[in-house]
Amino acid sequence: MEELRVASETTQFIVIKLGDEQYGIDIKYIDNIVRMQHITRVPKVASYLKGVINLRGEVIPVMSIRIKMGLKVDEITKSSRIIILKMEQQGTIGVIVDEVKEVVTLEAAQIEKVAYDSKDEKDNFISGIGKYEGGLISLLDLNLVVPENV
Amino acid sequence: MDVSQYLEIFLDETNEHLQNLNTQILSLEQEPDNMDTINEIFRAAHSLKGMAGTMGYKRMQALTHDMENVFSEVRNGNITVKANMIDIIFQCLDALEEYNTNIRESADEGTNDNEHLIKQLNDILNGGNGENGEAEKATEAAEAAKENVVETAEDNSNKKWLDIKLGDSERNVLNEAKRQGKNIYGITVKVHESCILKAARAFLVFKAVEETSEIIVSSPSAQDIEDEKFDLDFSLIIISDSPIDTIIQAAKNVSEIEDVLGDVYVVEQVKAAKEVKTTEVKEETVKTEVATAQATSPAASATAGAQATTAAGKSDKKPVAGKPGVNRTVRVDIEKLDTLMNLVSELIIAKNSLVSASATENNTNSEVFEQIEYLESVTTSLHESVMKVRMVPIESVVTKFPRMIRDLSKKLNKKMELYMSGEETELDRTVVDEIGDPLMHLLRNSADHGLESAAVRKERGKPEVGSIFLDAYQDGNNVVIEVRDDGNGIDTQAVKKKAIDRGVITPEQAENMNEKEIIDLLFSAGFSTAKEVSDVSGRGVGLDVVKSKIEALSGEVEVKSKLGEGSTWIIRLPLTLAIIQALMVDIGEEKYAISLGSIQTIEDISVSDVKLVQNKEVINLRGTVIPLIRLNEILDIPSKKDSQDNLIVVIVKKGDKLAGLVVDELIGQQEIVIKSMGKYINKCKIISGATILGDGEVALILDANALI
Repeated sequence: MEELRVASETTQFIVIKLGDEQYGIDIKYIDNIVRMQHITRVPKVASYLKGVINLRGEVIPVMSIRIKMGLKVDEITKSSRIIILKMEQQGTIGVIVDEVKEVVTLEAAQIEKVAYDSKDEKDNFISGIGKYEGGLISLLDLNLVVPENV
Repeated sequence: MDVSQYLEIFLDETNEHLQNLNTQILSLEQEPDNMDTINEIFRAAHSLKGMAGTMGYKRMQALTHDMENVFSEVRNGNITVKANMIDIIFQCLDALEEYNTNIRESADEGTNDNEHLIKQLNDILNGGNGENGEAEKATEAAEAAKENVVETAEDNSNKKWLDIKLGDSERNVLNEAKRQGKNIYGITVKVHESCILKAARAFLVFKAVEETSEIIVSSPSAQDIEDEKFDLDFSLIIISDSPIDTIIQAAKNVSEIEDVLGDVYVVEQVKAAKEVKTTEVKEETVKTEVATAQATSPAASATAGAQATTAAGKSDKKPVAGKPGVNRTVRVDIEKLDTLMNLVSELIIAKNSLVSASATENNTNSEVFEQIEYLESVTTSLHESVMKVRMVPIESVVTKFPRMIRDLSKKLNKKMELYMSGEETELDRTVVDEIGDPLMHLLRNSADHGLESAAVRKERGKPEVGSIFLDAYQDGNNVVIEVRDDGNGIDTQAVKKKAIDRGVITPEQAENMNEKEIIDLLFSAGFSTAKEVSDVSGRGVGLDVVKSKIEALSGEVEVKSKLGEGSTWIIRLPLTLAIIQALMVDIGEEKYAISLGSIQTIEDISVSDVKLVQNKEVINLRGTVIPLIRLNEILDIPSKKDSQDNLIVVIVKKGDKLAGLVVDELIGQQEIVIKSMGKYINKCKIISGATILGDGEVALILDANALI
């Protein structure tokens, strides 16, 4: 019983980097991680929607978390990746990240809730802070990052 | 007998019969004396009853049984068709449809007995004729007489049971039965040509016959009949205590049985016949053996061939020995077709990659090009065939409309007539399934709001009976469906007022709107009060739902109206949803596809030919003034062309409107697979989708209709 309880309270996150900060994305949403590829621009859509890519025969929209969170515009480097998310409401969508670091397992005790009174725009997309090996990981609330209606 | 495997077919067939009944009863209302119609109705009701009975749906069977009784009386001339009777029959059809819906949803017919309908039917029966039984007898007698005539005329040619060869043991059984004073009959059952489940019908005939008699021999053998190895008829020799007529009647009660012939079977008679035809019988035996031998081989055509030979051998006795070419159909799950279509799409993408790979590699080997061209033509025709398989005529949707208009006419107390044309126009199955509701809505709208009352019409010098037209036709890569009425047309002032009242627009906005913009207001969401297209309140609301539904099918709807003369609603739908021929163009650094279906011509225009009208660029092309649309401006792409260069203009067409799209470079024609961009990017109206090019890159498809 004890073991079960513990198991049910851990969550796995993929740690990504945007600029100097580390962010965590709940692994249950992640379908795939692909290398950067040519993104076809779609005219007349919100600026954070970078366009569409071909993912094994499917056309998938790609967005920039950086623009969405009000950070600096993406600088595409060798380590840039597109994380393909599968969301219940929004369907499949790709997000551009600077770097994918590792997978971490956090217990409920390691996650601290954040208050929603922050003035900083990018903090509005955070559901909590994870403490892991001395570092801090901002856990992204994907339903806020990827809104249901554009 | 397990009937679940036949459920799908049962539902489809019931639907067909119900639609047929609706149409026929409508025409019966027009011509109450038309015997053909009455017979057709009787047959359909009879088949429905039989099918419901087979599947064990007792309530449905009871209702159809009474309907059939009524029509039997009508057929015999004992009841005349009256208006209230038609109404009751229509109510019965609605009830049957309800049963059918219940069965489709839960495989159960529901618990509604529809007793009042059955009672009303019986009232018609009793009111129309007190001597029910006698009349029925008379019918039977007449039928029997007819049969006799047929028999004499065809001189035993249909009595195929005479051809059955008896073994010794069977002959002994028959002789024994004869000694016991039992009757020996031979019967031949002919299945209806269009029957799909011959084996199932035969099984039911066997069952019906076995209730009163014992089957001694059957031809072909019971096993072959079960395996559907028979043409259109089979023969039985039976022993029974009952008179032959009861047995024949029992067999005839099975649906889709065209005819049952029967007579006393005399054992000696066969012997005599045998002696006369000894040589022939021998020959036949040989041929039958051949046929049996080949029937076991998997090649169906061989069997058919053998049957043909057998038939030819017997041709002196049977003038037409069955038709081998009965229309063979297969019912396929639409999902399987979707999978097939997806695979074809993948194949076309793979082919496109091959084409671009061979082009980039400086390939001088003409052999490769030839093969690729061959592959190209094969994939194109494969795509066309798959598409054709998915196409169904819109008939299945529109046949319910005459009935609807009739009901509306009574309900609204207006006289109106619906004229339809182009029911045979074909569309993708998914589109046909979805188009019913919007069409119904537009028709209701025309009937309710379009047409004036008879008094007003008279005053305006129009014929009292209003006309509504439903025309469907193919126009290039589109199918156009027009709903037209000769009613009042749209009163733009009234629309404007209503829009202001509802707060859709402000009075200031209303001032500056032209007629077309006002009519378009009808489609705006705030204008309607109903949420669902299926809303049958008849208040003419929910046009926005019609529009969004048609747009979801990649179609569009427009209205033309003239006050006092009527209005026309034009629905334009793409022929296919998945794969199109497109022109690839370069705009700046980006590639776009334009559907070939909407392209009229491609022109090379000198910059000096571009004129300004009301500050908008236009060109004069062979006498027509066409507005120019600079795609690079609309799509926010820096053009890579010099402003002094000649313009490449793609002339596109939407209905009777033209526009010239300015592009940088033409790449060429290509077959492209339309991919949805997902619901996440759907704000962009001028992009109708995306496609994957041969090199794996995504190109966007421009919606020329939205640009105009």
